[in-house]
Amino acid sequence: MEPALESDISLRVRNVTKRFGEFTAVEDLSFDIRAGRVFGFLGPNGAGKTTTIRMIVGITVPDEGSIELYGQPISYELQDRIGYLPEERGLYKKLKVADQLRYFAELKGVSRAAAEKKIDFWLERMNLAEWKNKKTTDLSKGMQQKIQFISTVLHDPDLLILDEPFSGLDPVNVEFMIDVLSEFRSQAKTVIFSTHLMSTAERLCHDILLINRSRKVLGGSLREVKESYGMNLIAFRGTGAEKVLADKSLVETTIAHADERELHLAAGVDPQRLLRALIGAGASVTKFEITEPSLNDIFIEKVGKNQESRP
Amino acid sequence: MKKFLAIVKHEYKRVVLKWSFLISTLLLPFLAVCFAFVPMIIFSLKGEPMRIAVADPSGKLLPRIEKNLSVERMIERAQQAAKDSMTQINGSQDEKMRNTAASVMQDFVLVPYDLAGRSGDAVRTDLISKVVANEIDAFLIVPDNFDSAQASFVFRSRKGGDFISNDTFQDALNNAVRSQRLADANISEESVAELSAPVNFDAKGIDEAGVEKDSSGVMAASFVIGLMIYITLAIYGQAIMAAVVEEKETRIAEILFSSARPFKLMLGKLVGVGLAGLTQLAIWVGSAAALLAFLALQTDFRQILATVPSITPVMITLFLTYFLLGFFLYASIFALIGSMVTSVQEGGQFAFIPVMIMLAAFYFCFAVIRDPNSDLSFWVTISPFLAPITMPVRILAETPPAWQIALSFLINAATITGLVWVAARVYRVGMLMYGKRATIPEVWKWIRQA
Repeated sequence: MEPALESDISLRVRNVTKRFGEFTAVEDLSFDIRAGRVFGFLGPNGAGKTTTIRMIVGITVPDEGSIELYGQPISYELQDRIGYLPEERGLYKKLKVADQLRYFAELKGVSRAAAEKKIDFWLERMNLAEWKNKKTTDLSKGMQQKIQFISTVLHDPDLLILDEPFSGLDPVNVEFMIDVLSEFRSQAKTVIFSTHLMSTAERLCHDILLINRSRKVLGGSLREVKESYGMNLIAFRGTGAEKVLADKSLVETTIAHADERELHLAAGVDPQRLLRALIGAGASVTKFEITEPSLNDIFIEKVGKNQESRP
Repeated sequence: MKKFLAIVKHEYKRVVLKWSFLISTLLLPFLAVCFAFVPMIIFSLKGEPMRIAVADPSGKLLPRIEKNLSVERMIERAQQAAKDSMTQINGSQDEKMRNTAASVMQDFVLVPYDLAGRSGDAVRTDLISKVVANEIDAFLIVPDNFDSAQASFVFRSRKGGDFISNDTFQDALNNAVRSQRLADANISEESVAELSAPVNFDAKGIDEAGVEKDSSGVMAASFVIGLMIYITLAIYGQAIMAAVVEEKETRIAEILFSSARPFKLMLGKLVGVGLAGLTQLAIWVGSAAALLAFLALQTDFRQILATVPSITPVMITLFLTYFLLGFFLYASIFALIGSMVTSVQEGGQFAFIPVMIMLAAFYFCFAVIRDPNSDLSFWVTISPFLAPITMPVRILAETPPAWQIALSFLINAATITGLVWVAARVYRVGMLMYGKRATIPEVWKWIRQA
């Protein structure tokens, strides 16, 4: 991670552990989140994401360690600066849209008049203005999702925590939501974004943290993470290269795709050295590209390996 | 505090701005009155005329029984009964009563049975066969020795469970036998009538100040008050449980808990719904007062109003206070149950526990009405859980000393404090536990740790 100024750090999690009886849900977890950036909180189901988020939001308290938001330990007062969209969505079934939103806003300490303005603004923004006085049960799932999102931003939070925000949304609305999130980012607010969808995370996140089985697996800026994995993957197309590619001291594994091959370099091998060897062997090379691993590859490699040893 | 008020307002509106609130406000007083009077009316409904065969070897009793069962005689008795409870009956009321008596009283058709010299057993077998053949509904065999104290009158009826008819008939028979015995002792019919006239029983209660008061209305009023509090507590308790389960089921709890203290949320819910219940009670008390005031202007009803127990503003304040005590006691139990379970159906399996306690309290009301100063009445009106229902009834029946009310209030207030504390601990953990119902040991752990 690039050296961050102290003042940039909005959320600081230090050595946090949370146990439920015999089960340790989160173990010795530490990370920092910087303001104005989107933080991807990644991990398989049951890794401890929701438990961590609940501690950040102040719903539960860590057994050990500390969580600080803007330099202060998490408290009920700080809850008003956080907007939280839980993975399991919930709205009052029989309440009108405007009434729900007003209640959620008031719970976050927003005055009635201010809430009224914000509600109109956001309903307009989300193209839901004509649904203002409808009951939740009259809304489609996607609309409910958007209402839920509005309820998390009405009080203009400084820290936005979104747990799987795109589930249940059609692609058009996903794009729309991504736009809205970009705005938040540009206002120097912090967004924590928890998901299983690596492609979305890859697109949106500046920094990531991957946890698995209660522990941190890797973390840092997306660039750093990728770089630490990259440089050993090559997309290759060409002929007459079989002999070189079979050399285990150069290429560890070869995966054949439809019209090209993916080469994993052996440890410590410079891509340029392989290219020279191929040319030297008289191979005709039509494509030789150093590629980055996708976040998905990293996820599968990091989590998949551990998963096998899971009881 | 601002958040707390927002929660209270939200919960209050959720209850009050619903159709069901309006409907229950209108319907419940009606139901309570029905509960109080319907059984009486049903039992007194006039059935088919009851055909009774009377095997009377002497032939002396049958005319007397017939006379006792005649409409005139019934009215006389009804008037007598009315005299006991009301001081005066004017002409129009007398007319009304005559009609009522004629329409309500059971008709009896007495059929003389000819013994034709048969023995007791043969008569009986024959009469039973007549009952079976539906020629008659019942029969009475008057023994030969009817004037002896050991005489045994055999009465058999197809409607053995119709105790009102049976009682009426037994009364008529008793009187007939008594008058016959007196007549046999050479006492003139006039003297018999005079001697057997019922006494004028002037029954009134005396309150602690020694002032006479008419207590005939107390029973009904206490019953209605007890029932109203019981029903309201049960309804609002279940409403709390349903609201808690909804927030848990829909996972709204997660959003709520990320916005306010769980304790604030739970207390806000209790206060909001409690105020809604209080609103309903206030509507009832207010309209009852308005109705009584209106009736007081109508001369016809003055007499009846005299039997309505006097209810003072202090009493009303106490009733509402006890309603709130009861509400917080039971609502915190219902909230606790709601946060333990995963669905309303599952909650129903536990909800019967508080409902049973409330029902027990309601039954204790009868003991309290009978003797408001007994040891039992004392204990049930100060004990937690029972007092909110029994104390208002006792206050109405006969207001206990102030120290007892204070003691009962303190004991119940202390219980509420403890219960709310326990419920809040279960609530803040239970509301985030999805998927399965919490076990009792788990809940115990939450209470100790949380």
